[in-house]
Amino acid sequence: MRQGKGSGTYGILDMSRFYHALSTPAVVLLTFLFLIPLSIILSKAFVGIDRGFSLERLALLVTDAYTWRILRFTLVQALVSTVVSVALGLPGAYVLATYRFPGKRIIKAICTIPFVLPSILVVLGFVIFYGNNGIVNNLLRMISGSEEPPLRILYTFGAVILAHAFYNFPIALGLISSFWEQLPSRYGQAAMTMGAKRFTVFRTVTLPRLVPAILSASTLIFLFCFSSFAIILVLGGGPRFTTLEVEIYRRARMTMDVEGAAALSLLSIAVTLLLVALHLWAQRAMAHQEEMESPGQRRLERRPESRMARIVLPLYALTTALFVLGPLFGIIYRSVQVPVSRSGDSEFSLRWYRQLFGLEEVAGSAFSVAGSAIILSLIIAAVTACLSLLFATMLAARLRTRSGSKELTMELFAMLPMAVSSVVVGLGYYLVSNIFPGSRSLRTALVVLAHVVIASPFVLRSILPEFRKIPFSYTQASLTLGATVSQTFRKVELPLLRSAMATGAAFSFAISMGEINATLVLSDSNLVTIPIVMYRLIGSYNFAGACALGTVLIAVCAVVFAITESIHRSRYV
Amino acid sequence: MKKHCLSLVLAVLLIPATIWAGGKSEQSEDARQSITVYAYDSFVSEWGPGPLVVPAFEKKTGIAVNLVSAGNGGELLSRLVLERNRPQADVVIGISDELLSETVASDLLLPYESAALSQVPAFLHFDPTYALLPFNYGNYAFVYDSAKVTEVPRSLDDLLDPRWSKSIILMDPRTSSVGMGLLEWTVAAYGDAWLEWWKKVKPNVLTIADGWSSGYGLFTEGEAPLVISYTTSPVYHVLYEDSDRYRAVVFDAGNMAVIEGAGILRSSRNIDAAKQFIDFLLTEAQADIAVANIMYPVNQTVELPAAFDFAPKPQVSLMLESERIAKNRDTWLTEWVEVMSK
Repeated sequence: MRQGKGSGTYGILDMSRFYHALSTPAVVLLTFLFLIPLSIILSKAFVGIDRGFSLERLALLVTDAYTWRILRFTLVQALVSTVVSVALGLPGAYVLATYRFPGKRIIKAICTIPFVLPSILVVLGFVIFYGNNGIVNNLLRMISGSEEPPLRILYTFGAVILAHAFYNFPIALGLISSFWEQLPSRYGQAAMTMGAKRFTVFRTVTLPRLVPAILSASTLIFLFCFSSFAIILVLGGGPRFTTLEVEIYRRARMTMDVEGAAALSLLSIAVTLLLVALHLWAQRAMAHQEEMESPGQRRLERRPESRMARIVLPLYALTTALFVLGPLFGIIYRSVQVPVSRSGDSEFSLRWYRQLFGLEEVAGSAFSVAGSAIILSLIIAAVTACLSLLFATMLAARLRTRSGSKELTMELFAMLPMAVSSVVVGLGYYLVSNIFPGSRSLRTALVVLAHVVIASPFVLRSILPEFRKIPFSYTQASLTLGATVSQTFRKVELPLLRSAMATGAAFSFAISMGEINATLVLSDSNLVTIPIVMYRLIGSYNFAGACALGTVLIAVCAVVFAITESIHRSRYV
Repeated sequence: MKKHCLSLVLAVLLIPATIWAGGKSEQSEDARQSITVYAYDSFVSEWGPGPLVVPAFEKKTGIAVNLVSAGNGGELLSRLVLERNRPQADVVIGISDELLSETVASDLLLPYESAALSQVPAFLHFDPTYALLPFNYGNYAFVYDSAKVTEVPRSLDDLLDPRWSKSIILMDPRTSSVGMGLLEWTVAAYGDAWLEWWKKVKPNVLTIADGWSSGYGLFTEGEAPLVISYTTSPVYHVLYEDSDRYRAVVFDAGNMAVIEGAGILRSSRNIDAAKQFIDFLLTEAQADIAVANIMYPVNQTVELPAAFDFAPKPQVSLMLESERIAKNRDTWLTEWVEVMSK
């Protein structure tokens, strides 16, 4: 469909040096900070036992039944997690795109929070809430009077999927709802005027047009779950559920087999890139250009019309709220409890917060790091959000114009940071860190740029579907009226992308807030951010302190997301 | 327009360059003698020994220390190997006895027979080549929740009893050094029949966590009454929570030991200062390291706080020869996965 419309008319843009140059910064950054160090690490996969070139390792891997077994499990769990996350996010996206109600911004902000949390805190939150000795089970025990925990959901495959959905459904919700908000409602209205039922309209008119956003969200979620491992091992119950990432970790960190890790990583990259390429291809094929409505232009309904929807929607809202807020509540609950007796009784106290902010001295340790970590994290995340937005938008401008194989390669290339195991990327950072010795300011810059590299795929996937939707006639009209290409880009196209850009920026902010690997390696431990303090607290037995810091992180992010949401809404008024 | 884009590209390329230049001048101002020390993250952490040990050393010797968090466990060695051509570190802290064979084989470290070693008992001298010097050690142990456990298990075999059904939290040896420690413990205890223990313990295992952090977190949340950790773990709860609820048990047949070593890099341009640092680590820093790491000091002359009475010392410290570990580790892991994932 796009072919017919696209190839001829985009010609003007293809010739424009402006669009060609736009992608340069992103490409330069990706190449130097990511591609080159990564290639050096991955090339070790071809080092044979005798130090010469050899395909031995790869051949050994590919012929091993164990490799295929864990690859199959990795794919299955990622697929199931993706389907569940999208299924959970879709009704939410519908609600956010269709109705207006008080507290909408807060809800959207809260839904983004799971994304910021390091996986160890998510595990803790799940255990505190759903665990055998968790809040839910203790409540049920009180009601039923039984000794055994009535609800045993953890340590099963289901628990893994649940945790993945908790982590990832914000992506589906965020990406799909911001796309949906700008779909013109009149096709649906027309269909309804002609007698179609609401569901028929959704199935035949709305859903097909949402496909690009759904595919975008699924790609991201799939890649996330593909490389998950901490959650899978702990909440799944052990090595029955093993992903490729576990085996990469084993080789890179436990058995000193960097070559083996590289080989396995190469296999995993090949598989993920193949799948991502398929997605990208489908997404391009499905992209429609259509008129855009900004959320301000459309009158959103106040409440559902049908009786059915009036029952189902609040029910959905309640379940989702419980699902998202439960583990978050678990973290907050633990942070305000101190043990008072040996049998496990505890009472309310703000002791962990006082310690965290240095208001209470603890024997042998200086506890006032939290304040500076919060400020540092906020600054790094804000800069990362701005830069990744800039780079990804510029890259998106280049990528939307042509559908040639060159652009597909480039798009794949831009998604690469998400497709590579973080353990292997970490090894690459050692090389980068080794080349740039010394100064703190350079280290800070490197950390920020690494965060930009990690976050850019998200911003790109948020913006690109929206960008492809912009009718070319807008651009043509602008050019005909005498605007230059760069003016058209800035004055016509960018304003239409605001909503998608805000979503992308929020995610990249969140990713940066939660990032730990690159920060630790590239800063030579000079930059102590919130997640690093959290890991260190846990590493020194202080789980409650980590929950207190987690609560602070949740609060800070809720405020930041709520502010971002209100800024990008108020522009339309 | 062309100019516009060009300047943008230039800006992107120039920012790092200018910062780099700035960094260089910063460095040259520092004429003091200095060494770079790579350590695992919890050593560098605000709650680790680093913030206590480093200032004390700098004050005593006037040598500046650049303490770098360089990854955990095997990462430290991986990083040193990757950096072979552009070495940064003078001293490395925290390579355990488990990786001795690989460390010696890498030939990156300079043997140093510190005089302080005379205060260290013989069983802790794990490296006969003196490339790695012991600075603290621990014993793996099962820690139990005394509010729930009355009859304490006394041996690895006791843990196979059906009354512990779904009651033990373990860690995956593929991703956790504590997990690897238990695997080696069973090899040390049962020899070739070690996998039998794992086959039988399976129904008693609640979950096998990815690392010590999440596993121990589950334990203190009350998910299970038993967890694999260290004999020294109760010390934390006594010191900082004023609670003796969580206790470690030592087995009559002995507990697996883990000894952490430090060493000097051959590539160091400041070997004298590095040696001073190692000496300091083995003497004056010992008490600080023990309390902050919650591990045993290697130096026998060190006095510890009373809380360490809650860290029972096993009669026997089990160990495996490092060549045996290096030779078999991969096979063990593969066999372990085979048994545990069924």
